Amino acid sequence: MHIGDGLIPLGQSVIYWLIALVFIVKSLEWARKDMDEMKVPMLAALAAGIFAIQAMNIPIPWGTSGHMMGAALAAIILGSPFAAVLLLTLVLVVQGVVFADGGITVMGANIVNMGVVGGFIGFYSYNSLKNSIGMTAASFAAGWLSIFITALVCAIQMYLAGTFPLREGLLFMGLYHAVIGVVGEGAITAIALNRIMAVRPDVVSEKSVPGVGVAA
Amino acid sequence: MSKNGIIIAGAVTAIIISVLAPFMASSNPDGLDKNLINLIGGGSEEHAEEIIGERMPIEYNAPMPDYSIEGMGKPGEVGAIVAGTILMLGISLSLGKVLVKKQGT
Repeated sequence: MHIGDGLIPLGQSVIYWLIALVFIVKSLEWARKDMDEMKVPMLAALAAGIFAIQAMNIPIPWGTSGHMMGAALAAIILGSPFAAVLLLTLVLVVQGVVFADGGITVMGANIVNMGVVGGFIGFYSYNSLKNSIGMTAASFAAGWLSIFITALVCAIQMYLAGTFPLREGLLFMGLYHAVIGVVGEGAITAIALNRIMAVRPDVVSEKSVPGVGVAA
Repeated sequence: MSKNGIIIAGAVTAIIISVLAPFMASSNPDGLDKNLINLIGGGSEEHAEEIIGERMPIEYNAPMPDYSIEGMGKPGEVGAIVAGTILMLGISLSLGKVLVKKQGT
């Protein structure tokens, strides 16, 4: 879902960059306040893993493919939507600058979509579901919802940019990512969280364990 | 498993994915690109690229475009993704150290 240069006019790109910068500053404040010596290795492991898994496009019908974003997983494990903002910002900078995956002028829009929208939807949907349906189902739902809503936001941006018509943009972005969300985001988020809980439950934020109240 | 254990486990997992990705990843366009081809290119990838090319605000040449190293084929793709994974580890560990050090002092 990486937007490339040329898809959003410069004026609009600047607005997305400004929104992104507000959240990046907030995410650095979160890191300074909340990150301890145990969370740094987890941040690094997630950053490397999410970068790698984003290079693995999964085929879906209609001659299309897609990959995981990882925002929900990062927010759940590190216990804050700002963790997803920080992590996805690092991933998107490296992808855009080194690999031309996502543009430079539009990087703010990609950070807003995958980091902010993906992270916040993933974090709050997980936390509103974890006590009623358990960690596995909640993380699957949060992963699915995070990529589906992000795709709809991306379609709206493409409409505002004059790139897509609104109706078709929403319909097809929604359809493709509803499918990618099942295998690519929901399943991998749930499996990864399960595995980490099995071997190192102590590195998963206590906020994300059912029965504990959540405060952003 | 120590703190280093987490980094090693993460690095090993990420590098395994990086090595497999060029062989396993689908080369179909992603959801957004598919929409660009259909909605603005009228079904043609070349036409979509032409239209987008005219709107390009800047010219930027990334060192390893599309996760590849020019003229190196699949091994180059593996190299590019592994290099990116190692870069991610380095950047996030450095940033984490800077931020946590400030907290401790």
